[in-house]
Amino acid sequence: MPNGGSWFDQFVNELPKKPWFKRVGAWILVPIWAWRTPVKPLRGGPRPSIQPADNLQSMMNLIMPLKRENKSPIGRAKAALAIAENKDQIFAGLDNVGTVHFARFVIVNDNICMFSVYDGDFSNYIRDFIATIGGVFDAVVALVEGGDDVLPSAHKVEAFIEWIRRHDLYQVPDTATDFLRDQEALNGDNAASGNDDLSLLPRKLILQLRANANVSLGSGYRAYPGYSAAQVRERLGIGW
Amino acid sequence: MVDASVAQRLVDDMISNLPKHDPGKRPVHTIGVGVDGYFTASDVARKYCIAEHFSGQRICAKVRFSNASGSPEQHDGWSDVRGMATRFLLPNGAATDLIATTLGEFFARNVEDFFEFTKFDKQKPCQRESPWRKILDMLQLKVPRRAPYPGEKTNAGAGILSYANRHRFAQLAVFEAKLIGAPVSYARAAYHAIHTFMVEGPDGVRRPVRFSWQPVAGVRNTNPDAPPDDNYLRQELDHRLRRWPARFMLMMTIGEAGDAIDDPTRPWPAKRVRVVMGTLTLTNVAEDQAAAGEHISFNPWRLVPGIEPSGDPILHARRDAYEVSRKMRGGIACPFFNRS
Repeated sequence: MPNGGSWFDQFVNELPKKPWFKRVGAWILVPIWAWRTPVKPLRGGPRPSIQPADNLQSMMNLIMPLKRENKSPIGRAKAALAIAENKDQIFAGLDNVGTVHFARFVIVNDNICMFSVYDGDFSNYIRDFIATIGGVFDAVVALVEGGDDVLPSAHKVEAFIEWIRRHDLYQVPDTATDFLRDQEALNGDNAASGNDDLSLLPRKLILQLRANANVSLGSGYRAYPGYSAAQVRERLGIGW
Repeated sequence: MVDASVAQRLVDDMISNLPKHDPGKRPVHTIGVGVDGYFTASDVARKYCIAEHFSGQRICAKVRFSNASGSPEQHDGWSDVRGMATRFLLPNGAATDLIATTLGEFFARNVEDFFEFTKFDKQKPCQRESPWRKILDMLQLKVPRRAPYPGEKTNAGAGILSYANRHRFAQLAVFEAKLIGAPVSYARAAYHAIHTFMVEGPDGVRRPVRFSWQPVAGVRNTNPDAPPDDNYLRQELDHRLRRWPARFMLMMTIGEAGDAIDDPTRPWPAKRVRVVMGTLTLTNVAEDQAAAGEHISFNPWRLVPGIEPSGDPILHARRDAYEVSRKMRGGIACPFFNRS
């Protein structure tokens, strides 16, 4: 809102829009506050499932940085081919998993990403995934930083599940203040109330996004929330 | 249900916190506009609720949109929660109300919390933050306090923030209220009936549900950087409805065991089943605003068979608090309000 204040007041109001001030914020202020008030990265993967519908239409946002030697058009092409050459195997495998609504692979910069919406428990989803298309996925993971440590996935199931979870994005809660609860829980603070300062929420968000540079914003929109892939198929008469 | 004296205290405490109050006006949501329209249930609504307005026939409706402030002074362009109270006039002569606001959650879990809130909700002089203070805020990665609106001498922002800092359950509502802004139109905001109700289907199954109105025209706020207009929402609605009706979809979210049924401070997860229950079509701003905007009295307990209140203590407190408020301002008692 135009404030009608002094020229100095108006100058200060415009500061956040100035490129030099943004650089001061990003290069000096944020690192200083990150040093003074360290923030731990929040764990990726789905939020705890409590009620039945919490186990439906969960998101997996897997961001896997390609190995250094693959951070090039050639490396990206290898990743694209690893998917394209095995499309039939992937689709058949996902059909067999049976609990997946949507799944797609995306290359963003030098990351190979898999985004999917699935029903049921995260660990079981990955376990089924390994059983049905683990071989294909191994070819992709072999191109990714740290991927060699969990291959072959069929022989290192638990390590592979944990590796996937580490690469799955932190899912910011749908409500801004629940994100504060996540930070508090990570620091062992589960009190119902505390001596908080809500005005610090912007800084806490900034520092969290420094610790978790990539996140999923909220649980997303659903046209038919609360229904499993199996229910949708059954009601549409296309079930298997 | 709360003791009558508690309901009176609730209303008195709210009024005592107002910088100005006209005894003939509502102590909150004072400025409003009455609108006529009709509601048509969706084809699936009757599968979930046997209440008559969900049977599918066109139901006359009266709606009062409002600014949440209890001030008799109109400031449409100020950031504020907005209200949408809807009365469904049923063919059998009964009526039922659905009261919703643009805030998705409440800031108190029960009457005790609310009384605690009223201790903090005190008007204090508000001044423009000094440029040096703003710089200090920015250096701390905090958002500087907004400048007072033209003519804004006091507000309760500092007290409410202090309340939220002490009570984590209140933080979501307070945070959302702080950012809520001003809609470009009453028809371009989403409204949420924050309480849980129990609806009964034709098969006898009772489900906990929460209702929301979604504007077909979409949600849009005014530019917060532009000077606020104190008086535009009623005229905008009038002009809009003279051109074309405005519509809202009534969405019903079905809760699950374990969801916060009796706590209006806690939202439900986005994964809950959501059903389109019908469409409200607003046709015109009511000609008699004294009746449609001022004297009309809504009550969240004005319900019909098929819908029952949950055990939410705030919902229970509102029943009598609304009645106390109605009597104090001489509002019209609803002839259909027979529930005890």
